[in-house]
Amino acid sequence: MSSELVQVTDLERNYKRGKFKIAALNAIDLTVKKGEIVGIVGPSGSGKTTLLNVIGGLGKPTGGHIAVDGEDLSELADKDLTHFRLHKVGFIFQFYNLISTLSAIENVEVPMTLAGVPKPEREKRARELLAIVGMEQRMNHLPSQLSGGEQQRVAVARALANRPPIILGDEPTGDLDSKSAKKLMELIRNLRKDTKTTFILVTHDPIVVEGCDRVYSIRDGKITKEFTQTDINHFKMSQGKDSLEELLV
Amino acid sequence: MSSMNMAVRSLTRRKTRTILSISGIIVGVTMILVLLSLSSGTSASTTNLLRSAVTAQITVTNSSTPTLGGLGGFTRPSGGNFGSGGFSGGNFNFTRGGTSGGFASFFGASDTIPQSDSNTIEGLSGVYAVSPQLSASGYVDNSSVLLYGINPSSFSQATTGLSISNGTMITTTGQIVLNNVIADNLGVTVGDTVVLSNNTLSTTNTGANYTVVGIFNAGSTFGPESRSAYIELSDVQSITNKTGVVTEIDVKTTNPSLVHKVVSEIESSLSGVTASTGSSVASEVSLSASLAIFFIVIGGVALLAGGFGVTNTMIMSINERTREIGTLRAIGAQKSQVLRIFFSESLLIGALGAAAGAILGIIISLILPYFSSSISSSGAFGGLLGGRLATSLVASNILLSMGLGVLVGVLAGIYPALRASRMKPEEALRYVQ
Ligand SMILES: Nc1ncnc2c1ncn2[C@@H]1O[C@H](COP(=O)(O)OP(=O)(O)OP(=O)(O)O)[C@@H](O)[C@H]1O
Ligand SMILES: [Mg+2]
Repeated sequence: MSSELVQVTDLERNYKRGKFKIAALNAIDLTVKKGEIVGIVGPSGSGKTTLLNVIGGLGKPTGGHIAVDGEDLSELADKDLTHFRLHKVGFIFQFYNLISTLSAIENVEVPMTLAGVPKPEREKRARELLAIVGMEQRMNHLPSQLSGGEQQRVAVARALANRPPIILGDEPTGDLDSKSAKKLMELIRNLRKDTKTTFILVTHDPIVVEGCDRVYSIRDGKITKEFTQTDINHFKMSQGKDSLEELLV
Repeated sequence: MSSMNMAVRSLTRRKTRTILSISGIIVGVTMILVLLSLSSGTSASTTNLLRSAVTAQITVTNSSTPTLGGLGGFTRPSGGNFGSGGFSGGNFNFTRGGTSGGFASFFGASDTIPQSDSNTIEGLSGVYAVSPQLSASGYVDNSSVLLYGINPSSFSQATTGLSISNGTMITTTGQIVLNNVIADNLGVTVGDTVVLSNNTLSTTNTGANYTVVGIFNAGSTFGPESRSAYIELSDVQSITNKTGVVTEIDVKTTNPSLVHKVVSEIESSLSGVTASTGSSVASEVSLSASLAIFFIVIGGVALLAGGFGVTNTMIMSINERTREIGTLRAIGAQKSQVLRIFFSESLLIGALGAAAGAILGIIISLILPYFSSSISSSGAFGGLLGGRLATSLVASNILLSMGLGVLVGVLAGIYPALRASRMKPEEALRYVQ
């Protein structure tokens, strides 16, 4: 088995709006290795969410190839794509997207419930996961009783529930203060270390970028630059921290 | 089962909305149950009411006897039911009969049926009372009359009876009740003795003595009824030498709606007879039927409104939860699983509404009769139902109303649940309130 967990080749995705065709993604090539933390940066409307959705099996490409953990996503039917999302990917969203009527632990149980894991087993695992993200004390709280940072940590626990090889985050710190953002990024790096989980994180946030091994920059649906951690560190040393934004844009 | 758990959470943690949509079902189920209880109670009380107020609904005669007038035809005076059209059968026979003193040929033309037929009819289900009758021409104090031989007890059960103005109805043989016109003509009154014969009196035909026990009004001074007299059935049979036969059998059913069923049962179990019904039967049946339909329509409309309420709140709720649905689909919920979650919600709403509605409906059905005395006398129903609101709780009605409630919840949930399951996850996730 190759070490490439995600393999994207010549990927294309168009949206049809009446007569107009919007090329949201155009000739994208990228690879992500197992255990990597990869960032995707770019201006608004550049296609970051679209790319993440295609990798996560939420949207189908209109051209090119995408394989995740050995599965060719462009060949999967709707049902199988859903099955793929349930077992192979975890999602973290900007606004956490917890089910508002379910408690923290119940939210973490949802993916396992959908997968048919028996109650005692999923309860045990949900507790463990909440302990890992530091939320075991709040497991019976509803989302509305938690802060943004706390909700996002519950969301991370939910994303881990079915032990997916890859977790996708769309602006995971977009709604968090810098302290919570740092805490979340720390959690992500620890998870990668302990579980070899791969992360792909769409972001604007320098805190996230600093924690990534590699960063792709996209513009108008195309990859324009690629940075490694060394590039990032080098840039930081020479320009000073505040100008990291310049690197990204 | 877990989709049911999620549905339970969703309902219990959005109490206001849940109560709102459940209340629509509760109102509908309660109304249906109360209305069904009223309908059952009413039809029970009106059946009793109508049974005593209405004359026999079925007349059984020999099938070769013309029965143009149907029930109202040439039966007997039954209160005000004495329509002029009712005598067409009699008139027809009368003119056909021709010569020797009209009445004789009139009755001579009537073919008889075995008296035992009345026992057969009594054995049929849905039959309330059976009155065999033999009519014949005869002479009272040498004056021509129509003689009706009846069985006093079954006659009073099966018909509205005679309107006796003086004295009593006959109870046994040897007694006679005379029409007031004949009584006036003959100058006899209650307690007098008259001579009854099958022909004009002569040395060979001396007749027999009968005691006049009552005088009745036929309501008309013309026509055959004004010259009628009632005696015991066996008396007519012996006078006319027609033992064991009758000219007609009047039948009253336990419930007006059973008339047509009883008619066909009579005709299939007896040969050579015709069972005919009058037009009054149709109106009785349609009265109780239209009352029931009226009740069902009101309840149905209420439940339909409740159903729309459920659909409406479900759609609102689904629109609000678009992102939640998108999230569920994103993290791996199949369309069918989303469908099940939302369908469970509407099923629960239907079931809870049905249970609460049934309880409320039972309570109202039980206490309604106690309040009815104050409202029924003035209300429209008061007049219709003879001044009382009767309810009757029937298990099948409770189950029916609950079943309808659950059904409405299920039906109301189909569209919203389908809509939720068909949302495209990618677009649902982009959705911002
Ligand atoms: N459902 C859609 N129908 C039509 N066009 C779409 C649809 N979704 C996205 N687009 C277009 O595709 C392009 C890429 O959108 P995408 O959401 O991927 O951008 P993004 O980089 O995530 O932006 P942001 O940083 O604002 O989230 C945009 O031009 C957008 O308008
Ligand atoms: Mg985006």
